[in-house]
Amino acid sequence: MRLTDFGMDTITLAGPLEAKLRAIRAAGFTQVMLSARDVVGHPDGEPAAVAAVRASGLRVTGFQVLRDFEGLSGHLHEYKIDVAKSMLQLAHALGAPVLLVCSSTSTHATGEIESVVADLRKLATLAVPLRVRVAYEALSWGRHAHQLAHAWSIVERAGHANLGLCVDSFHTLANEGAIDTLDIVDPAKVFLAQLSDFLWQRIHSREERIETARHLRVFPGEGVHNDLVAELVRRLQRRGYAGDYSFEVFNDDYGQMPLASVCERAMRSVNWIAGRLARRSLPVLREG
Amino acid sequence: MTVSERNPTPSNRLGLDGLEFVEFTTTQPLVLGALLEKMGFRAVARHRSREVLLYRQGGMNLVVNAHPGVVRAAAGDEPVTAVGAMAFRVADAGEAHRQTVALGAWDLPSRAAAMELIIPGIRGAGDSHIYFVDRHRDFSIYDVDFTPIVGADPHPPALAGLHYFGLVQTAFPERTAAWLEFYQSLFGFTVLPSGQFFGVVNKGVLLESPCRKFFLQLIEPPDDSGDVAWEEGLLRIGLGTATVPAAIVALQARGIVFVDRGPIRSTDRGALTQLYPGGVSFELVHSELGA
Repeated sequence: MRLTDFGMDTITLAGPLEAKLRAIRAAGFTQVMLSARDVVGHPDGEPAAVAAVRASGLRVTGFQVLRDFEGLSGHLHEYKIDVAKSMLQLAHALGAPVLLVCSSTSTHATGEIESVVADLRKLATLAVPLRVRVAYEALSWGRHAHQLAHAWSIVERAGHANLGLCVDSFHTLANEGAIDTLDIVDPAKVFLAQLSDFLWQRIHSREERIETARHLRVFPGEGVHNDLVAELVRRLQRRGYAGDYSFEVFNDDYGQMPLASVCERAMRSVNWIAGRLARRSLPVLREG
Repeated sequence: MTVSERNPTPSNRLGLDGLEFVEFTTTQPLVLGALLEKMGFRAVARHRSREVLLYRQGGMNLVVNAHPGVVRAAAGDEPVTAVGAMAFRVADAGEAHRQTVALGAWDLPSRAAAMELIIPGIRGAGDSHIYFVDRHRDFSIYDVDFTPIVGADPHPPALAGLHYFGLVQTAFPERTAAWLEFYQSLFGFTVLPSGQFFGVVNKGVLLESPCRKFFLQLIEPPDDSGDVAWEEGLLRIGLGTATVPAAIVALQARGIVFVDRGPIRSTDRGALTQLYPGGVSFELVHSELGA
């Protein structure tokens, strides 16, 4: 693995977009994972945000996040299609190759697989002319799809060239989901891998999962699931995943720290992952 | 109209029935018009409200759209010509539009002025559009929006039996699969087996329309393309003829130059014209589709 495989995520950092981009670049990263808020919340408007990203010299890892999209019907479906189109257009303007879509948490959403598959196929087709791929992620508190295996079965069933999977270490670990699922996932259908950890062994409720996911994640190497995070990356690599990794670290404390310090932690995490992988993949020397 | 025309087969849900027209967008309509005339097309009608001319040759309708604002400006006022749209004949244009939008196509805002036909369309590759036309039997869409050019033969014959064979679309690297999915899921195109080609430009992947009347060829940039600017869009049209050598002779006599070097040489299977100003070229392909 190389440093250029990792993208720093703007959601971990406080402050204006330009400051985040400068800090990410200064820390040595070459990629940035962008959030819609970075763009639409820019004080000078979206074109200024797009220009800042393009001027930063950073490659865009992806764009997030479309929520509660699939399984709706009637006017709710039409409403979400409008939201999706808007996000796809922003992703296109930013040169983001991937739009991240989280599994729905909506009580209005059906879990009927034909409907979910049809909606995701539609989104993936909408994304084709814009040169954006769609990565579907199982949110650990998703209403119907909340395990990596659920998301994979949906992506596999959809069978759409422009629809793939986002593997997120937090959601996999938080649900105590089997990392073994990665052994049946087609590595070519993994469009993005997001890495983070958290600070306690187990999460006991849906509410705690949401709270931890949104406020208390840490970088890989800083949490208590080091072996599992390293194993997840190792399996992705072993299976032939050659795509990008981004740090999906929502953490309120990091939002109160200088950007350079947070980026430094992220860089330490890159080195930690690379070290863990290198250690295990050294060839075993045979005697004699 | 027969029952079967209104009830498309399962593999042809939209009732596709060939290409109604191909549109070029250009900042140089006179230069492009002169080239089209050399290729055997004749200007037959003028749009009522827009800077648009209709050219025709045999069964091929070709629209040249030079209306201000339709062509994306190039750097340094370079002349720009592009294949801006392809129009599919379908059983019911409104229904085709509704179905494709429901499956994930981008709707296009109508450009029709008062008393003009609304031709429903969706977004295609790059800046190009895909239109749906269903009025190709009862009456012509051109009767409504166009006025005939005085003295012009409204139905000029085809040179050497030329007819639309298909279009070539460019795709960014590793994007062919996504575009195959686009054409398969929205319209029911079929991917031809790897290595099956027509003509002389044997690369990329071929898709056959569900009506089996035309083809799309998807090509990615060659590995050695280096810094060559590559965009997604419709690159050129392919013209079919049952007699490629006769078509070459007839077109050469009109001043058309064919590429004859390297891997691209004129044969009985096909030929490729040189690149004309604005980046326009035409491909000839052996085909019995016009019979």
